[in-house]
Amino acid sequence: MKPSSFNQPQRTRRAQRKNASSFTLFAPFAVKSLRLFTAILFLLPVFWMIAASLHPRGVPLPQTLQLLPQQPTLENYGRIFHLIPITRFTLNSLIVVATAVPLTLITSSWAGYSMSQLPRPSQRRLILLSLAILMVPGIALWSTRFLIYKQLGWTGSLIALIAPAFMGSSPFYVLMFYRAFRRIPHAIYDAARLDGAGVLQTWAAIALPIARPTAVGVALLSFILYWGDFTSPLLYLSSEKWYTLPIALQLLQQMGRSDWPLLMAAAVIATAVPTLLFLLLQPYFHKPQ
Amino acid sequence: MFFRFNHQTRLKLLLLPYLLGILILVIIPAILSFSLAFFRYDALSPPQYIGNLNFILAYTDELFALSVQNAVALVLLPVPLRVMGAFLLARLLQRHGRFLNTFRAAIYLPSIIPTAAYALAWLWILNPLFGPVNLILKAVGLNAPAWFSDPQWAKPGLILMSLWQIGEGFLVSLAALQDIPANLEDAAALDGATPAQFLRHVTLPIMAPILLLLSFRDAVITLQDSFTTILITTGGGPYYTTYTLPLFIYEQGFDLLSFGTASAALWVMYALTGLIVLFLYIIARQWNIGTTDETFVI
Repeated sequence: MKPSSFNQPQRTRRAQRKNASSFTLFAPFAVKSLRLFTAILFLLPVFWMIAASLHPRGVPLPQTLQLLPQQPTLENYGRIFHLIPITRFTLNSLIVVATAVPLTLITSSWAGYSMSQLPRPSQRRLILLSLAILMVPGIALWSTRFLIYKQLGWTGSLIALIAPAFMGSSPFYVLMFYRAFRRIPHAIYDAARLDGAGVLQTWAAIALPIARPTAVGVALLSFILYWGDFTSPLLYLSSEKWYTLPIALQLLQQMGRSDWPLLMAAAVIATAVPTLLFLLLQPYFHKPQ
Repeated sequence: MFFRFNHQTRLKLLLLPYLLGILILVIIPAILSFSLAFFRYDALSPPQYIGNLNFILAYTDELFALSVQNAVALVLLPVPLRVMGAFLLARLLQRHGRFLNTFRAAIYLPSIIPTAAYALAWLWILNPLFGPVNLILKAVGLNAPAWFSDPQWAKPGLILMSLWQIGEGFLVSLAALQDIPANLEDAAALDGATPAQFLRHVTLPIMAPILLLLSFRDAVITLQDSFTTILITTGGGPYYTTYTLPLFIYEQGFDLLSFGTASAALWVMYALTGLIVLFLYIIARQWNIGTTDETFVI
């Protein structure tokens, strides 16, 4: 395993070859195949999920290995719409992420920005507080959050699912922003202040654009968090009207335990949205040149 | 002077939603759930003080002891595998070569699948009769286990499926590896070190603290997040072999409406997490990472 031996000066490579014997010569090919193998291995679950969702109804599931069903069909996707109000559930999921993700971006980057500008002792205290909060087990909050939401009249509505976005969703995101904002030279902030820019202006026009990769990362992570949230709707919702996609999956599972093509079609729908977003955001993860 | 104070105040205002949210959504519920253990409470009638009855009810429950054992087993077994896997993959995809970003995206992809969908997918993949894994095992002439319906194989099944969702550890390891100067490796190669030796004597010692931190973070997350996966794949069965502490707490609280007993069981959860945090803190102090400026990874 020697990935770095590709673009090195001739001198180093020759020395390496002399010392490290045939292992290094063999390495580039081994590394390439190993990389390809692991990539395929990690894509397999998604592939199997899609392949099973294309299996035609009424045809018995094969008991021998085959890559794709013999007569692939999309009918399972249509069948979901007849069984449960999947459009409604998808809409609910979309409402949740459309509210919670922008809110998370604002509150967590505000907190991160504020932290990065405060005096060092305050910074340390806030980091420790954030780390401590990060370690509170989520299960510890299930029942008492339920009681608080009930007092506030939030149970049974989508607000109960969105509420954590008001605190930036997770201290982890705040720390991510804090770290990104601290890396920006302080002279830049000072220059903006001298030019008369206020706190909010500096945050919006200077800090956020420089920390773009972090913002994209937090957006994706919080999207995944809210899109896949299974416990909040399970605990805090009572009427089917507000159910989100993860609960829809459980509903379908309870309706037809062994209708695998149908279940896999629903799983593909739930997976497709974050995957598309992930692929679309790919170019933005890399630092602006 | 006035302007400066004003600026500071405005800065602190930006912190307000975060701090207020933490107070209402984390600190108050955490304290409440801590103290609820001393009350009988069903969310309908007002709480009633009953001393340590909840602790007796919870800790003498056979299912409770079993759920703690299972929870610990399902953390101790997969976490080292997950962290080592994430690190080795990061090393493999560290630098140079074509399609590097595509390969990295492929590793990360399973981690963005919603937990409920991911659990359903693995319920299919590990299906005893039709699942692709068992079809492969049969094709090569191996014994195909019944996975989630076999008391012996349910835990290995859960551990296996957790090995595909290691995107976060992968990214953190990758970032940490990038910080190791490339010429260190060239120098070692010049001195005649083989890649295996370099990994053993240079990369691993440098990465050790970060891998440890990752392990503890992963332990805390696994302890909590396995709930959804288990609820959908096995429901705690077969014969309670995958029945973990979160399931016990969920059943006590939301099925039996005895929030007090659920809270008493939660104390163990706090203790387990507290223990992990203590280790984390000691490690962070020891290596001077985690709480200092640029290097913190958690």
